[in-house]
Amino acid sequence: MKYAFFPGCTMANRLQFAEKSVRMIVPEFGVELVDLAFTCCPEPNAVRSLSEDTWVTFAARNIALAEAENLDILTACAGCHESLTLAKHELDTKPERKEKANEILKGMGLEYKGTSSIIHVHQLLFDEIGVETISAKVVRPLPIKVVTHSGCHLLRPQKILQVDDAEVPVKLDMLCEALGMDPLEYMDKVMCCGAGVRKTDSDTSYAVLKEKMTSMVMVEPDAIVVFCPTCFITFESGQRITNRLFKTEFKLPVFYYTELLAIAMGLPDTDALLADHRVKIELPEFSDTKKEDSESIPT
Amino acid sequence: MVDNSHNQELEDLREAARPCFQCGICASSCPVFRVAPEMNPRMSVDSIITDGQVPAEGNEWLCAYCLMCEERCPMGVSLTEILMGIRNISSKEGKAPPDFVESAEALLARGCLSPTSNRSVKKRVDLGLPDLPQPDPEHVKLIFEVTGAYEVLEANRVAVKEEAE
Repeated sequence: MKYAFFPGCTMANRLQFAEKSVRMIVPEFGVELVDLAFTCCPEPNAVRSLSEDTWVTFAARNIALAEAENLDILTACAGCHESLTLAKHELDTKPERKEKANEILKGMGLEYKGTSSIIHVHQLLFDEIGVETISAKVVRPLPIKVVTHSGCHLLRPQKILQVDDAEVPVKLDMLCEALGMDPLEYMDKVMCCGAGVRKTDSDTSYAVLKEKMTSMVMVEPDAIVVFCPTCFITFESGQRITNRLFKTEFKLPVFYYTELLAIAMGLPDTDALLADHRVKIELPEFSDTKKEDSESIPT
Repeated sequence: MVDNSHNQELEDLREAARPCFQCGICASSCPVFRVAPEMNPRMSVDSIITDGQVPAEGNEWLCAYCLMCEERCPMGVSLTEILMGIRNISSKEGKAPPDFVESAEALLARGCLSPTSNRSVKKRVDLGLPDLPQPDPEHVKLIFEVTGAYEVLEANRVAVKEEAE
C-alpha cells in the first residue's frame, strides 16, 4: 500500500514526534508514504469562514496533486482529514463547484477528477490493517488506563466522514485495547476540546477545555489518547493554562495513538518521541510486561 | 453595502434554515454555549429565518466548529453551512475577527497556517524527518486572486485599520 502522506502543518511544525511515530509504524504494516507539495488543507474553520470558494479550491489543488500520482491520501490530523473530505464531498456532489475549481487548477497544470480517496491514520489502522493484526505485533503491552478523544473532525459529520459513531465512538478504544491498555468510558467523550475558539476568545476556549477535562479526570485515567495534533496540543499545553485560569489541577499525559503503538511494538528509538512530552508518564518496564516468546512470535 | 449576490446568499441560507422549528438541541449540544451562552446556534438560525438578516452581534465567530449541532439536528439542518454562510457574508463586510484575518494572511504568505521556525526545522532534522516539498507560491496567489480572497482580505484589513484608529 502506498499513500500520499498529508501530515498537515500543525503536526509537521509543532508535533514532529507524532509525525515521526506515524512514519515509524507504517512500514511495519507494508505501507509506503510519499510526500507531495501540499499547501495547508486549509484548516476547516478559519479560511472557510472567510471564503468558501477559497477553501474548496485549496483543497481541490491538494487532492489533485495526489490524483496526478494515482495515490490515495493518508491524513494524520483530524482537521486536515475533515477539510479535505468535506471539500471532496462538495466537489463530487456539486458539478458546478468542480468545474469552477478545475478552471483555476488548469492554470497550474492540474485537474480534480475525484479519483483519490482520503483516509486518516485512524482508518488505516482500524479499517485497513485491523485490530487483530496490530495486536499480533505487540511485544510490549502497555497496561495503563486511558481516556480516548477521537476528535470532532474525525467524528462529525458522520454521514460523510464515516470514521466512527459520532455519539458513541469505540474504535480508538479498541485500538488501545489491542496494545493492552484499559480504555475508560467518560461522560463528555464526544465533546470538543475547545481548540476552535482558542485564538478568537481564549478564555472561552479554556472554559470548554475545563469542562472536557473535568469529565475525563472523574474516571481517573493515567493518560489521554488522541488522533489529532491540535487536540494533543490543546490538552497538553492547555491544561496548564486552564489550571491557572480556573484553579484546577489537571496534569494528564497525552499521546498521539501511533506513539503508543510504536512503543508497544518494541520499535527502536521511541525515547526520542517521548522526550518532548510536557507531562511525563512512567510507562511499565519492558521486562515487566514483555509478552512470552510463544505469544509474540508466531510459529 | 448590500448588493445582489449578498441577497442571494442570504436567500440560500434562509432556504437551508427553513426546516428549523427552534427545538434548541443545537444550543444544548454546543460546547461553547455551555460556557458562553451568547454563542447560541438556535438564535443565529432564528435571525436568518425570522429577520432575514445576519445577526449584528457577531457571536457566530465563537463557533468552535465541532459540528455537534449539525449531527444532532432532528431536521437535518446543516448548522455548519448556516454559520459558515453568516461568517462569509460578515467577512465581505469587513467584520471578520483579527485572528481569522491573520490565518488567511499566513496562508497567503506561506501556504500554511502553522508557521515553520528555525526550531521546528531543527526538530525535524533531529528526528530524521524528511524535508517536505513546498508548494509553488504562485499557486497560492492564483487561488487567492481568482476566488476573491484578496477582496475579502482587503475589506478586513481596512476594518482592522479603522478600528485601530
